[in-house]
Amino acid sequence: MAELSAQASQPAADARSRSMSEGLFGWLLVAPAMIFIAVIVAWPLAETIRLSFMEAGLGGEKFVGLENYEDLADSRKFHQTVVRTFYWMFLSVGIKLVMGLIGATLLNAAVPGRALFRVLVMPPWVIPMAIGCIGWLWLYNGYFGVLSGVMMKLGITDGPFEFLAYKSSAFYSAVVTDVWVGTPMVTLFFLAAMQGVSRDLYEAAWVDGAGRWYRFRRITIPQIMPVIVSMALLSAIFTFNSFEIIWILTEGGPRGATTTLIIDTYKVAIGNYKFGEGAARAVIIVVLLAAFSLIYLFFLNKINKRYGVK
Amino acid sequence: MATLNLNAINKSFGSAKVLHDISLAIEDKEFVVFVGPSGCGKSTLLRIIAGLEESTSGSIVIGGEDVSDAAPVDRGISMVFQSYALYPHLSVYENIAFPLRVQKMEKGEMDARVKRAADILQLTEKLDLKPSQLSGGQRQRVAIGRSIVRNPKVFLFDEPLSNLDAALRGDMRVELSQLHNQLDATMVYVTHDQVEAMTMADRIVVLNGGQVEQFGTPMELYHHPATKFVAGFIGQPNMNFVPATVLETTGALTVELEGGHRMSLPVDTAGVSKGDTVEVGIRPEHVTLAEEGLDITVDVLERLGGVSITYGTIGNGTRFCASLSGDAPIQQGKNMRLSVAPEDCHVFQSNGQVLRRKSAPALVA
Repeated sequence: MAELSAQASQPAADARSRSMSEGLFGWLLVAPAMIFIAVIVAWPLAETIRLSFMEAGLGGEKFVGLENYEDLADSRKFHQTVVRTFYWMFLSVGIKLVMGLIGATLLNAAVPGRALFRVLVMPPWVIPMAIGCIGWLWLYNGYFGVLSGVMMKLGITDGPFEFLAYKSSAFYSAVVTDVWVGTPMVTLFFLAAMQGVSRDLYEAAWVDGAGRWYRFRRITIPQIMPVIVSMALLSAIFTFNSFEIIWILTEGGPRGATTTLIIDTYKVAIGNYKFGEGAARAVIIVVLLAAFSLIYLFFLNKINKRYGVK
Repeated sequence: MATLNLNAINKSFGSAKVLHDISLAIEDKEFVVFVGPSGCGKSTLLRIIAGLEESTSGSIVIGGEDVSDAAPVDRGISMVFQSYALYPHLSVYENIAFPLRVQKMEKGEMDARVKRAADILQLTEKLDLKPSQLSGGQRQRVAIGRSIVRNPKVFLFDEPLSNLDAALRGDMRVELSQLHNQLDATMVYVTHDQVEAMTMADRIVVLNGGQVEQFGTPMELYHHPATKFVAGFIGQPNMNFVPATVLETTGALTVELEGGHRMSLPVDTAGVSKGDTVEVGIRPEHVTLAEEGLDITVDVLERLGGVSITYGTIGNGTRFCASLSGDAPIQQGKNMRLSVAPEDCHVFQSNGQVLRRKSAPALVA
């Protein structure tokens, strides 16, 4: 009996040693990726968190505990920035999604020359963002800009209108530019999703008497819903952290009207050399986005289940 | 339920003409199958009947009403697609109820209709499931359910079984035939599978290159194929075509088959003369082993138990298939002699048209 069990345990031991070496080999294979992530994500993140507990400037660092966070919690200006950032994000993403849906539907229609239209959608996305934004800077210019000129011609304004000089118009002008930059990607993803919807579904619905709007509502939207949700999340993160557009157009002005969290963080940390306070803001951005993403992923999962996507 | 008449339907895609002057009269409660090889235009014809495709010219009359310009929903048809076209995000119940929801039907009536369809198709237990949780056969039934609830005048089926495996296809064939009896409906069914056509159809339309080759009952097509194409398409294994030279045309048609065998065939000889080349059509199941007759070299022998299928060559290498008894004393690589009754032979002119057979089996209904 003892012999038997000794024999039986032999292969088990073999398997164990093999799995040990396999485990090691596995770690070895993922090591480069892990080192990479550690260097470019984990370490900077840890360093940012550490800095957020410091009063840090060009002169040196001093541990201040939660002081940076307490200051932010008490700052009305910071609260306004957070609210403004979410407003900026929801407004811009909402418009991008609606425009993307409309654009994709039009581009998906069987019209002659649609290939050309599909190409024409691309430029805002493919030209460097800085160049696009400088173009918009000129469009918004009161004296040389087309928009102001057209408004004067039409009698809407009496004289030159500087879009970026007033709090409200600057904010919405920045939204327009952000929508201009962000819509093509959303449109093309929606278009790809729409093209993946089987033509038979539409034909079956057509035979059953479903009109265009009905088919759009009960077939297209549910069928591309997982893509809509994913794009909403991606687009929300991009928009939340959208920096170049605002920085080139207004640098966060006038009087903070276009200052979002990311602009604020940059101004404090890089502009005023207050690394500690900047780091605290950055950490808050990470926490907000992580929470936001978690809620989103929860819904994405639900929606995927509901619409029969595995 | 209703009759369906197609009058001189033509269809072109650009310069490519895919349907040529198709005229058919399909009777009330008839199960008609459109069959033909891929690209013969059968699906296009069905889509034109459905209104999913516009014909270039010609008219469609359903139940005495010209619907050529009507929207699909106003034609009184319903269609089952090859891909089933089920909405993945909707439950089985909602899939079946879809056309009724479009009509904004009152809830009680809708519920009754969906439940009745589910009952007919044995889907009552599955109403809450999503299509992804069903088997292929069940999905097909949901698609059929969706077409039943509308009480259409004509059911259209576009290759509904081609996504199923062979065993399931056999079962579904039986189910569809039963459904046809149960619903007493006019049905038009498109397939490339001649077995489906033969087993389910009241009448078959054989299409080839956008033209109707023949429209008739399965047994008519089998015993009286109008053309070589129909003869080759209907029947399993396919009919053999052996080139032959006409020797005599008075009385019966006397020919010499490739390989030297001479036969006197009881067919109409109008249109052929001495020395013409014709093709003699012989079905594999109509030959028997004999002392004298066609000389065949057996290349491949498939013993299926009940029958033995042999593939070989005759004369100058023309392929010849024979279906013999399961225990027929033949061997691969050896020669065999086969005889065939003259009245079982078909004769085709070089243009593919048949010479009418004078004696042929009485047609069974």
